[in-house]
This record gives sequence, C-alpha cells and structure tokens, in this order.
Amino acid sequence: MPVKWVLHWQPNQGSTVSSQILNEATQCVESINGVKEGRWKATLNYYKPLLRDQTNQAEFPRDFLGISLADQPNKYYFIIRSQRIVLEADSSIQLIMERLQSYKSKVALYFEGFQYQLGDFRLRVGKVVPTHSENVRGIVMEVEYLPISSMEKSRKVMEEFLEIWHEALSKRSLPGKFVNIDLNFGEFGLGDNYTPQHTAVRYALVMAHMIATVQAVRG
Amino acid sequence: MECVVQGIIETQHVEALEILLQGLCGVQRERLRVHELCLKSGPSLGVVSSEVRLLCDLDQPEPTWTVKHVGGAMRGPGADQISVMVRTMVESKVSKNALRMFNALGYKLDHELLKVGFAFHFQRTANISVSVSSVNKMLKVHAIDEAVPVTPGMQIVDVTAPATPANYSEVSAAVSSLCEFLAPLVHLSKPFNSTGVVPTAAAAAASLMSDGGVTATFFFTFIRNNRIHPYTQQQIETELCQRTSIRGYLV
Repeated sequence: MPVKWVLHWQPNQGSTVSSQILNEATQCVESINGVKEGRWKATLNYYKPLLRDQTNQAEFPRDFLGISLADQPNKYYFIIRSQRIVLEADSSIQLIMERLQSYKSKVALYFEGFQYQLGDFRLRVGKVVPTHSENVRGIVMEVEYLPISSMEKSRKVMEEFLEIWHEALSKRSLPGKFVNIDLNFGEFGLGDNYTPQHTAVRYALVMAHMIATVQAVRG
Repeated sequence: MECVVQGIIETQHVEALEILLQGLCGVQRERLRVHELCLKSGPSLGVVSSEVRLLCDLDQPEPTWTVKHVGGAMRGPGADQISVMVRTMVESKVSKNALRMFNALGYKLDHELLKVGFAFHFQRTANISVSVSSVNKMLKVHAIDEAVPVTPGMQIVDVTAPATPANYSEVSAAVSSLCEFLAPLVHLSKPFNSTGVVPTAAAAAASLMSDGGVTATFFFTFIRNNRIHPYTQQQIETELCQRTSIRGYLV
C-alpha cells in the first residue's frame, strides 16, 4: 500500500479553524495543478465504557476510538493510543461492539472533502465535523505517494513535496500551517511497510493533537 | 444468524464418519486446529455481562484471528418445531492484537480450548460446515502444546450454516436433511440437548470401513443425486450387501 502522511491544520495562537481555510487549501491544491477526482469521507468514533459502577472508570481506557477509512470500505480500525494498540477488523466488528453493550460511541466525527491527483501523489483535503453539525472542528490533509510503500524510502520525497506545498500555501497568508506528526510505529507493532493500520494510528494522533490545541485555546 | 446442531461420537468411529462425509459432501476435508478463547466482561463493565470468543486458526502458515459473538437462540413455538438451533451470530476477521485489545477494554479470559480435527465446507441449498474435533483443555494459560482432551475417546461433531431472518427455514431444513444422512453414526441435535452416542454407530462404522469406503461413496452419491429419503441403518446394511445392484443404477 502506498505511504501516506496525515497532516492537520494548526492555527496560530489566537486564531481558529474555519471553512474559509479549507477553501483556501483546496484552491491551493488546484493552483499547483491538482486534478479533482471526487469526494472522500472517513468516520471516527470515540467510545466510552458503559459502567454499572462509575467509581471504576479509571480502569478503562479513555482514548478508545474506532475509525473507518475512505479507501477501506469493508474494514474498521480500533486504536487505544495510550496502550499502543491498533486492530484491523471487518466492518461487522461494529455490530459485535453494539451487541456486547459494553462500550458506546459517544462522539462521532466525519472527515470529508475532495480528493486530488497530482503526478505520483494523491491528496485528500477535508474538514473535521461532528456528525450532526456543520461546525468545522479541524482540517486534515492526506498526502499519499503512490509508487512506494516503504516509509523510510519515501521520507525524502514526502519532505520535498511538503516544502513545495508549504511554499505554495504561504502565498495565501493563512493564520496557521499544516503539520505532520512523526511517530514511532514500532511501538504499535507496525513495520516499515505501510498499511491502513498506519493510517488509523495517524488519525488517532491527529485527533489527540487537535483536542490538545482546542483545550490550550480554551485554557 | 446461524443454524447449529451438535453431537458426540466415539473416536474409534471418526474415520467412518469422515468417509461418510466425504461421500456426502464431495469436497476435500480441511484440517482443523483452532484455539478458542472465551472472554467475559469484568464485573462493572457493560449494561449486562457480556461474552466474546476469539478464534485463532493455527492451521495457517500465519495464525489468523476471528472475533465471534454468539447471541440468544430463537424461542417460542416456531423454534420448538425446528430441530436445529437458530441463533444470532456475528463474526469478524481481526488482526493479531485482538486479545490484547479486549483485555485493555476490560474483558478477561474465562476459559480456552483447543479443537483439533477436520472440517468439510460445502454447499447444499445452504453453506454448511461440518467439523469433527477433539476438544482439549490447557493446563496452563495459553499452553496449547500441553493441551489434553476434555473427554478422551470422544469427539464433538458441529454442523453450522449461516442464515438470515429471511431464509433460516430453508437453511434449517438443509441442515436437518444432512443430519438424517449422518444419523447411523451420530445423533445431531440442538446444543445442550445431547442424547449421547448412537447405539448403531459401531455397526454403521463397520459397514463403511469394510471396503475402504468405496461403496459408501458411490452409495451416498446415489442418494444425494436422486434425493431419495435416507435409509435406516438396516437398509444401509442391506444395500451394502447388494453392491452390484447399486452400481447398476449409476450412470
């Protein structure tokens, strides 16, 4: 599977994320000759335990989330980031979780936007919104380099692409930047060969950073 | 949803059962070596206590995992009239971290088993799977190499077929029909409703084994293709003595 980086929009101190920034980002992709291919969508659920005794809450993970990815329609991914666990499953695992009645999805988010082809790259730019709201909570960008599936071998070309991207975006003087977070996939039992599980872990980390940013702004 | 029946058979008759199944199914058997872990939710987790099964198929070059949730069986007068159990069941293939994940979510190991044997998977109106296996318990946690039989000398026969609310009647009928063919060797019934081993199993097994199973294979191919009512044990033995006349029917 091609290597993919998942970037998220980090607003400058004092500014917030909005649909306008998403529009600017998509226009920027088109300005560097990105060819629009269509829409994309991913869904993320935060799960909370259903407890008969609330005093035991600390025994259960607070960061248990599930995600369905746009390019894996028959699969579902669970991540417990604090314990470095990632699991790939068939989509039917969601029905199993429902039947168990031990965990319930408390917050659900969509990642949705447009997909572009740009030479050997595939880009997806999208907003992060709660499922029953149009309130933009964040912006993400997937950068996929199609010829290579080794993360090490693709690093240089990905970094070069991002330099080009940052330069193009900087001309629009937006109050923030797209950020890529490096992480140690080995801690999750994942290797150098890229898989959808890598993407699921990336999204979990992006969410953690976005939440931290929101909390910092509120603080 | 799935339709399920189970039965038990003495290990000494398993070879005969395999010959019978080979003739009925017309497919090659597959080896079965499955480590089954039954996990239960901790005391305060969940609206109600819940159970989930992790199945690790050890017969693959790289072990593969499945998560399975078995729900309640259909009840009521309709269910009583069906000789197979119809129950909700959902399963999902998962990557290898399933046990670690469920432990982290608050599920603990309740018991584990190792099932070793063989299975036939075939299509007869429904997708039917028949497995014949010894059930082994582990004396130490996860020590599958040191597993010992739960009931030495006895093996369990499982017949399952996936179903939907729209077709469970047809699927039940297909499973029941198969059960009738296997009746001389093993009595299959709803789980937890066992009637023990079949008293005629020894004689039926002897008949099947008497010529290496060749006649049995032809015989049951004939029954299957012509869809006649399965024979009683006495009729099986009578027909097996008239092999020439049976072969005369075959084209």
